[in-house]
Amino acid sequence: MFENRTGGPGGLVSSRTQRRVRRVALYLTALIVTAFIVTPLYVMIIVSLQSPETLFSGGELTLFSTELSLSNFRTLVTETATPRYLLNSFIITAGVVLVSTVLAVVSGYGLARFSFRGKTTTARLILFSYMFSPIVLAIPLYIIFFNLGLLNSHLAAIFSISAIAAPFSIWLMWQYFQNIPVTYEESAWTSGATRWRTIRDVVLPLARPGYVSVAIFAFSVAWNDYTMVKIVLSEQALYPITLGSSLFLDQLNIGWGEQMAAAVVMSIPPFLVALFLQNYLLQGFNLGHE
Amino acid sequence: MAQEITLNDIRKQFGDIVAVKDVSVTFEAGDFVSLVGPSGCGKTTTLRMIAGLETPTAGRIHFDGVELTETTPQERPISMVFQNTALYPHMTCRENIGYGLKIHGIPKAERNDRIEEAADILQIPDQLDKMPGELSGGQQQRVALGQAFVEQPDVLLLDEPMSDLDAKLKEELRVEIQRLHRKLDATVVYVTHDQNEAMTMSDRIVLMDDGEVAQYDEPRTLFDRPNSEYVATFIGTPTTNVLEFEVEGQTAIHSAATIDLPSTLSTYSRLKIGVRPRALTPGKGTFGLDLTIDVIETMGHEHAIHATTPDGETSVEFVVDDVDDFAVGQTVTAGADLSDLLFFDETGAHLAYGSDLATTQEAGQR
Repeated sequence: MFENRTGGPGGLVSSRTQRRVRRVALYLTALIVTAFIVTPLYVMIIVSLQSPETLFSGGELTLFSTELSLSNFRTLVTETATPRYLLNSFIITAGVVLVSTVLAVVSGYGLARFSFRGKTTTARLILFSYMFSPIVLAIPLYIIFFNLGLLNSHLAAIFSISAIAAPFSIWLMWQYFQNIPVTYEESAWTSGATRWRTIRDVVLPLARPGYVSVAIFAFSVAWNDYTMVKIVLSEQALYPITLGSSLFLDQLNIGWGEQMAAAVVMSIPPFLVALFLQNYLLQGFNLGHE
Repeated sequence: MAQEITLNDIRKQFGDIVAVKDVSVTFEAGDFVSLVGPSGCGKTTTLRMIAGLETPTAGRIHFDGVELTETTPQERPISMVFQNTALYPHMTCRENIGYGLKIHGIPKAERNDRIEEAADILQIPDQLDKMPGELSGGQQQRVALGQAFVEQPDVLLLDEPMSDLDAKLKEELRVEIQRLHRKLDATVVYVTHDQNEAMTMSDRIVLMDDGEVAQYDEPRTLFDRPNSEYVATFIGTPTTNVLEFEVEGQTAIHSAATIDLPSTLSTYSRLKIGVRPRALTPGKGTFGLDLTIDVIETMGHEHAIHATTPDGETSVEFVVDDVDDFAVGQTVTAGADLSDLLFFDETGAHLAYGSDLATTQEAGQR
């Protein structure tokens, strides 16, 4: 009998006050979250845009500066292997996105549309394997790639990162296909379309938000990966930017400014992906709950 | 060319559940056949087996004498309209209607001609370039009909295509579907749970009960000569009144009436007697039911009266043209003739039609 005393219609607090409280709480939360996210980003950017001379002038870290320069970025390009690292990152990420998405679409469709012995167990195992920390997979994968003679190649990096991204990707695609009524496919079959034709004309267009989400997820796993590449790659020329930039501080001519400049460069692709594909991302993770 | 469809001892099991139990029927080429029955009676499963979307556990399916039991839907000369409209949300209505033609490699110009012709017949020419999401439920269902119609199939399968529509739209589309049937040279199989739809549209009706065919006949026969209590009560609105009588000697006794039985029926100890609400008329007929009026419903030019028998156990409905003489709580005697009665045994199995008994009686008297 007390639950409606303060909240809801007819409560002790008028609905106008309730609305106001709700709005203030919302903005306050948003403000706190923003502060936590924006502060490190700001430090990163401001440090990257100052030359080493101004950065520590006066013995303290300069956080508000008017003398901005791109010299750190220039140093990155001229004196480090950053362009090479970035290229490696792009190759590995593109490979992982391709492998994971195809794998997820094919497995997800199979799990959603065909019944076979041990299907539930398979599905559970897939999700269960996601519970493991990637590092648990690292040694077995190292041994597998060693035996295959693939160690120290981009292929090894692509497959090992895909192994980490796969369980969740497959699970997401499986759920997504389950949310597409099978009637669409049946309708196409009765119109005379083969299963493949139906997949191309009907299933894939309807599943687009699903596989775009999977691709974004695979992208973020691959782009940010450090552990797997660290284990399967040993040659510096093959390193992606995550691994490469961690070596900068060992170099004498590279300081915090350049380090932060590398971080800025590293952040741009994920930022662009999030900016342009956010609608797909929300649709995909919503799984049909509009 | 319309094709004859033959189902031979078709059986479908899902695990332990038997959805369709050894059904054998033949649909004549060009007929409009309805599969009707309550939900869960196996009518949709039967249709899906005809479509090739389900494979029968046992039995054979022939189209025009050619066995198609194991073939895929793509290999059958069918088009199908689904219960929840299966319009592809990412294609325009034009693309939706033309999808089947595109699959079959019909050139674009001819495709467009046929799409537009179908759209004209279905009165949706202005909607062609819209997306399905922009259309109302009725328009979507017209597009779905167009999708099936445009392919000029030999067999057109419709799975409760109107179950989500409101009553007025149903009436419109009912006419539309019959018009399409006349234009197409196709055997139409129509699944519905609405006996009214089945009665008004079909050449023949398969009434299903728990996976079995209860009766397969023309609508008129189904109504006049139902072969069980189940058929008699399923077909017709308001539903047939069935009263359970004790038989003593030559008479059937119920608290509402006593009926003299012909000698052929007096061997049973209990009987069920059915009578259609429209056959019961107060103050007329050779047999009278004593009833107390509970509720009077007005349906325009006629009125349904719900009444109870004196023992208070059975409710009986009858229909009158003029309601002025009746009031709630009043007792009336609603009568019928022998020819209006349907006789069933205790389990509801058919025993005799009153109309037959009346003819033999007359012949005997002569």
